[in-house]
This record gives sequence, structure tokens and C-alpha cells, in this order.
Amino acid sequence: MLKKIQIAILLVLLVLGGCGESPTTGSGKPVKIYRHAMDGAPGSLDPAQAASIYANFIVVNIYDTLYRYKYLARPYQLQANLAAAMPEVSADGLRVTIRIKRGVHFIDDPAFEGGLGREIKASDFVYSIKRHFHPGTRAQGAWLWQNRIEGLDRWKTEGSDYHKEVSGLRALDDYTIQITLTRPFPQLIHTLVQGYAAIVPREAIEYYGQEFSSHPVGSGPFKLLSRDSVRAVMIKNPGFRQLPFDLANEGFDPVAHKNADFERLQGRSPPFVDRLEIEFIGESAARWNAFVADAVDFIKVPASQFDRILKQRNPVTLYPEYADKYQFETSPESGFIYMNFNMADERIGYHPDPEQNRRNRALRCAMVKAFDWKKRNATFFYNIGQVFPGIIPPTVPEYDANGDTSYIRRDLQAAKALLHENGWNEDNLPTLEYGFPNSVAARQAFEQFRSFMTDVGYPTEKIRPLIYATYGDYQRAYSQGKVTLMDSSWTMDYPDVENVMQLYYGPNAAPGSNSANYNNPDYNRLYEISAVMDESPQRTRIYREMNQLLMNDCASFTGISRTMLFIWNKRIIMKPDRSFLGGYFMRFVDVDETASADP
Amino acid sequence: MNASYITRRLIYGIPLILGVTFISFLLMVYFGPDKTYELLGKNPTAEQIDEVRHSLGYDQPFLLRYGGYLKELLTLDLGLSDSSGRPVSAILSQSLPISLALVLPGFVLGNLFGLILGLMAAWYRGKWLDKLVMSASVVGMSVSFVVIIIGLQILLCTPYGLDLFPVRGWQVHDPGSYLAYVTVPTMALVMVTLGYNTRFYRAIMADEIDREYVRTLHAYGAAPSEILFKHVLKNSLIPVLTRIMFSIPFVLISGSLLLESYFGIPGIGLVTFEAITSGDQPILKAVVGLTGVLFVLALMINDMLYNVVDPRISKS
Repeated sequence: MLKKIQIAILLVLLVLGGCGESPTTGSGKPVKIYRHAMDGAPGSLDPAQAASIYANFIVVNIYDTLYRYKYLARPYQLQANLAAAMPEVSADGLRVTIRIKRGVHFIDDPAFEGGLGREIKASDFVYSIKRHFHPGTRAQGAWLWQNRIEGLDRWKTEGSDYHKEVSGLRALDDYTIQITLTRPFPQLIHTLVQGYAAIVPREAIEYYGQEFSSHPVGSGPFKLLSRDSVRAVMIKNPGFRQLPFDLANEGFDPVAHKNADFERLQGRSPPFVDRLEIEFIGESAARWNAFVADAVDFIKVPASQFDRILKQRNPVTLYPEYADKYQFETSPESGFIYMNFNMADERIGYHPDPEQNRRNRALRCAMVKAFDWKKRNATFFYNIGQVFPGIIPPTVPEYDANGDTSYIRRDLQAAKALLHENGWNEDNLPTLEYGFPNSVAARQAFEQFRSFMTDVGYPTEKIRPLIYATYGDYQRAYSQGKVTLMDSSWTMDYPDVENVMQLYYGPNAAPGSNSANYNNPDYNRLYEISAVMDESPQRTRIYREMNQLLMNDCASFTGISRTMLFIWNKRIIMKPDRSFLGGYFMRFVDVDETASADP
Repeated sequence: MNASYITRRLIYGIPLILGVTFISFLLMVYFGPDKTYELLGKNPTAEQIDEVRHSLGYDQPFLLRYGGYLKELLTLDLGLSDSSGRPVSAILSQSLPISLALVLPGFVLGNLFGLILGLMAAWYRGKWLDKLVMSASVVGMSVSFVVIIIGLQILLCTPYGLDLFPVRGWQVHDPGSYLAYVTVPTMALVMVTLGYNTRFYRAIMADEIDREYVRTLHAYGAAPSEILFKHVLKNSLIPVLTRIMFSIPFVLISGSLLLESYFGIPGIGLVTFEAITSGDQPILKAVVGLTGVLFVLALMINDMLYNVVDPRISKS
């Protein structure tokens, strides 16, 4: 009997052993595969609906955008992608002319005549942007160009007829695009880097209809092979244009990138891997297990594993057993976490009676002083988050490293004094509704917030949780003014702090991104002045002034930028990035075939 | 059992399906997540909010929407997922067989082992074997499914343990690869269900063993195996069948969620969970309808099997 069991086990092991055969290319060369783990799954793969980082990871690899960011340069620098060069901008900043590369083709697909991918023309870009303004698209990127491009909003109100021209969005010829703006828009090129601005062929949209989102037809470095709820597989687009990689142009820094082996990329044409496998692994334990079992090459380290792998946190170093096997990088998020007061709520926000308005401000400021960012960082962000005053995060050049930090310093005495001086006591403090989408971490953060407020005498029962099943439900609730305190986070859409400053611009009030319903005329005026300005010391001064206005009004508890820890197998040559675009870097990922597969 | 009997059972199933679909649709519409805000861009205008609501069909009267839902079920034209834009029928036809292949071995083994252990525990009631099996069952029932999954994953699929099986995925193309991917999930499923099954089956068997005919069999000197398998097991098949048949829809639709999620298997449990959390109504409607149909089928097959195992049960 025992012998039979032994034979059975042997057979099973033999069968399992047969599963590990390495695939090869047609030429017999081993297939280079990069396996990336993400903590979420994308929804639609239609660029017009690529609202999440997860969707962008796939979209920017399947489709082409006119511009991209340089692979290694930080701060981010723009680089022509499908565009032949950087745009020509008229002296008044209103007319932008972009020439596109010739001879770039969409992938072969039944949507095209004869099944052969045709050349991309300037009119494809025009069509791709118009789609955002067509009600049938259910697009999510229109806000980027709304009221910015001459005639585009009118085109929509007049029926979104693709046959009608938009005066501000024209293809002058097959390879020249001209955009006419209603006012200067220095961030325009940043918007053309995003997945939203990816170029799609009209034939495919007409051929696949609503199913286009699951049949991507692009001209990017990869094409989609398969996709389900747990993974997406992409393979190299054999027709992708050959453009040799230029280390110097991509922002290579011999000191910063000394051990990364990027030199091996010089002169070769991306993409450097044959196959991308993106695993969607929501559970952090499963993600970590997949990584240590070598089922994926890269993960964003779950916070629960920090104690296991981090020898020290400032600066971050790994224990030797991990440092020997893996590369790592810490990356501050391009955004931050904050909490807004609903300024439209008269109990705590703006009030028509100036005296009550003053008392409400004092109450908000007392609550801000009662908040303990150090504890928040220690409890939820493993003490490696970056706390900063206001809304200009440390990742942008406008951040003032030497600025006043009293806004984020806990001062219970001052908080109590403010309450007392303004006549607030346990009996007359308003009952506040603190909203958040359902999760254990969000509930814990709420309880911690409530305990901070209790320390200055805010009765526990007067800060009530409002829990929502999904983020969408939560968003609807605060957009409708049902929440007094809003737990929020913001990921910047592009590396220009204008994208953050607009968060408190009055006309962007809910349901817009100004969920605080903050409406300070001085702030609004400064925003309008600065929004048309290029990056400059003068603009920085204005932004810092706006930041101070916001803090003077105590409209928000802000903020902290989380630090992400990326870790990957040493045989993978790359600089990972999940800021703004998510996934652009994957065309430059290489695999060192000489390194051991199992480190 | 003839065609008219089957037709009658099917007709009886119609009100059940209508009831299930109506109540679940009502809950989805009035208490389920609202997808509108997740599909909106930043800084939306009131007009854009209306556009999205319209495209989702939220602005239609309830009865019209319900009618549309029934039509979709009847025609099997289940529409497109609100999240991914993929056809719901394609998603289901891709994920349902995977879930079936994933849970079937664990379901069969969990019930088979449960039956055997339940029989043994009942036969040796009050003895050390009974106490051991019952104690182990309680332990099995007390340990969280997630802990079992993570524990087995670490033990069998990572370098921290034996590293014998794939840690995630479902690259099944032959029996060998199927075995590789299904083994650990099956072990997890058996471990988590065995305690419940064993206790349930033991209770039934113990009840059956107390009957007079068993004492008579003992008096005749029948062998224990004959008493247990030929008589006790056969006579207690009605509750056993009921439990198994009614478990099938649950096991298929929801039972595999955690396994799929932790082992990266693209089955219907994960699809359903994501649809619930994101408010993807086309998928939810299809799954709810499918579950209703599965229940009706389970009921029907259950009734037929009753007739087979106990002819005394009248068809009428």
C-alpha cells in the first residue's frame, strides 16, 4: 500500500515537473516575460474610460499618445511619442500645432479593410478627442478639455456630429494637428500624455460598438492577447516603430541609477520584453506569496510586510536576505490624503451671519489643531509617509520645504483655547457626519479621528460615521452635501500642481472635485490668474499664497503623501512608476537572461 | 417520472424565478451601489451626471427596467458589463466552467469524506473515535477559510514551505496542469467544509442508527458494513441529497470567491464579488437570474432523486 502511495506521489510530481517548461520565440530564443502584479483590476480598456491607474497600465501600452514622459528623468519631463516633436505654440499661447510621425500603423484587426492596420492620421487624434464629448461614449476624460478648446463644447451641444468640424480641433493635413484654445492652457501637453488622449481608430469603434472596450485596437508597443478578472496578457506589437533608446535623452543619471544596469538598453528599440503579464491581486497576502514564490516579478509591497523586510525606514533599507535577492525603490505618491470640511454646511462651514461664520472658522481651526498627523502617519503609513502643511505636496517643485508647519502640529492647549474663546462647549458643538467608503482601514481611521477630537472635548456621539458600500455611493453622498467631514485622497493627473490647486476653486464645487465646496474669492481670483501661467517663480509665489489662504480658513485637514515601496526581482531591469500614467515604463522593462531565474 | 412531470415542475419553478428576480432586482435598484459617480469624470456637470444615469438606464421607471431584465433573461441577451464593457454572456461562459472545475473536486471529496467520517462517528457514538472526529470537526469549523487558504498557500506553494504547486493562476491545458492548479484549492475547500459536513451527516446517521430496524439487523447478525452502507446510508439519503443538491448553486456562485481571489483564478465567484462591490448591474442581474434557475433545477432534480431513492414518495 505504502509503495502505491509513493508511486502516486512520484507521478504527481512528474506531471507537475512537466508544467514548468520555458516558452520560446519562433526563432528559438527564450521569450522574455515581465510579470507585474497590481493591487487592483482595470475596468474598461477604452481610452475614453481609462480613469484608473489600473486601466492606464494597459491602455498606454496598447495605444499611442502624442507625448509621454521621459523614462528616467525626475522631475518629469515631456517627450514626443507619436508626435514628431514638441508642439509649436503661438506667442499668445492659444494656438498649438503638433506634427505626428509618419508611417505609424494600427495593429492588424478585422475592423480594418482587409484586416490590415492602416496608418495613423492627424484626423484620428481629432476623432479620439471628440469622442470624449459624444454622449454615447460614456467618456470620463472630457473634463480635461472642457471649455478649453474652441468650439468643442459647442460641438457637443449641437449634437456631437462627427461630420461637423470643431474650429479649435483640426487636422490641417494627414500629419498636422492644430488646437486652438479659448485661453492659454499650459497643462495641455500634460493632458495629451494621459491614457484618455490615446489615439483610437474610428473603424474599430464602429466595428465593435460598445464592445470596443474589450477589443483594443491601438498602435502601442504591445497588443492585448487575453484579459480576465485576474490577469491581462500582452504581447509585443511586431509592427511597433523602431526608435533606438537614448540614455541621455531619457534622463539617465549615472549616480542615481548606478546599480540599475540601464546602459544595456542604449541603442536598442523598445519594447524589450516579448510578453507582459499583469496579475490583478487584490489581497495583500496573496500578492506577497505570489512574489516570494516567483510567480510575479514585481509588487508594491503591502504595508503588512514592512516589518518583515525593512531593516530601517529612514532611509529605507532591506534586510540582507531581501537585499540580496531583490531591487527596491521608495516612491512618494503623486498626491495626498486629506479630509475636508463641507464648507457649504452652515453648522461648520460658511454661515450668512458673520459672527457665526467667525465661530465656525474657530471651530474648524480647533479641530485641525487637535488632529495628530504624527500618530496618523505611525498608525496607518508605517511612519514613512510625508506630512506637509496645506495642499502643495513634497513631490512638486512648488513645495516649500522651509515653510511654516504649525498647521500640521498638534496643539491641544491652543485648540481648547480656541473653542473656549469662541463659546463652543460640549452642549453646543454641532453633530458632524464623517463619511467614508466601507473598509476596515477607513473605519479605523475614523475611530482615530474621533479619539483626537475627544481629546479637546468633542463628545464622541457628536461625530457619527456614515459608511457607504462603494466609493461611488460615497461620492454621490458628499456631492449631494450629505457628509460634513470627508475622508479623501487625490492622485495628481499630471505633474503640475495646478491639478491640485483646482481642488479648492469655487466653480469646481461638488459634484466637481472641490468636494469641500470651498469658495474664497481671493483664492478663486488667484487661481484664475495662475491657471494660464507657465511654471515660474511668480506662479510658485501665487500657489503658496493660495495654500496659505486655505490654511487660514481651516477648510481641510491636510495632508500626507504616502510612500510606496516597490520591490522587484534583480533580473528585471527597470524603473517602476505608478504616478500619473501608470505603466508607461513597461515598454522599457528588460529581463537580464544571464541572471538566475530563481534568485 | 415522465415529460408531464418535468413540465409541471418547470412550471412550478416560474413563480419562484419571478419572485427571486423581482426581490433581488428591487434590492439592486433601491439599495445596491450606484454606478453613476464611478463612471463620471472629474468636475462633472449636472448634464453629464444625467447622461451617465441615462446610459445606465437609471432614469427609467422601475417596472420598465424589470421588464427589460426579464426579457434579457428570456433571450439570454444579457448586455454588457458596466465596468469593463465586455458582454456578460462571454464573461459568464468564460468564468462558470472554471469555477465548476475548481470547486467540483473539493465539493465531491468534502461530502464523501464527510459522509464516511459521519458514518464512523455515528457508529462509534460516544467512543473515542466519535469524540476525535467531532472535536476535529469543531476545530475545522472554527478556523477561518482565509487562514486555511493562506496557510496552505505558504506551506505548499512558496519557498517558505514545500513550494510544490503554483501559487496562483489557472493555466490549465491538460490533466497534469489541472491537477497542479486544483490541488491546493481543493485541499482548502475540503478542510473548510469537512467539519460542517461531518457534523451534519453524523447527526443524520446517528438518528438513523437509533431506528428499530437497525437493532433487528444486529439481531440477525448482519455485518456492520452491511448495516451501515446497505441500510443506514440508503435510508438516510433523502436529507443527504437535499443538502448536496441545495449546496450546488451556492458552491458554484459564491463558494469559490475566496479561492478564486487568493489563487488568482478567473471564476464566477470573483466576477460576482467585483460586480457587487462596484454595482455592475448587468452582471449582477445575470448571476441572480442564473442562481434562480439553478435553484429551480436543483429542486426539480432533487424531487426526481427522491423518487428514485424512496419510491414511497408519491409523484402527486
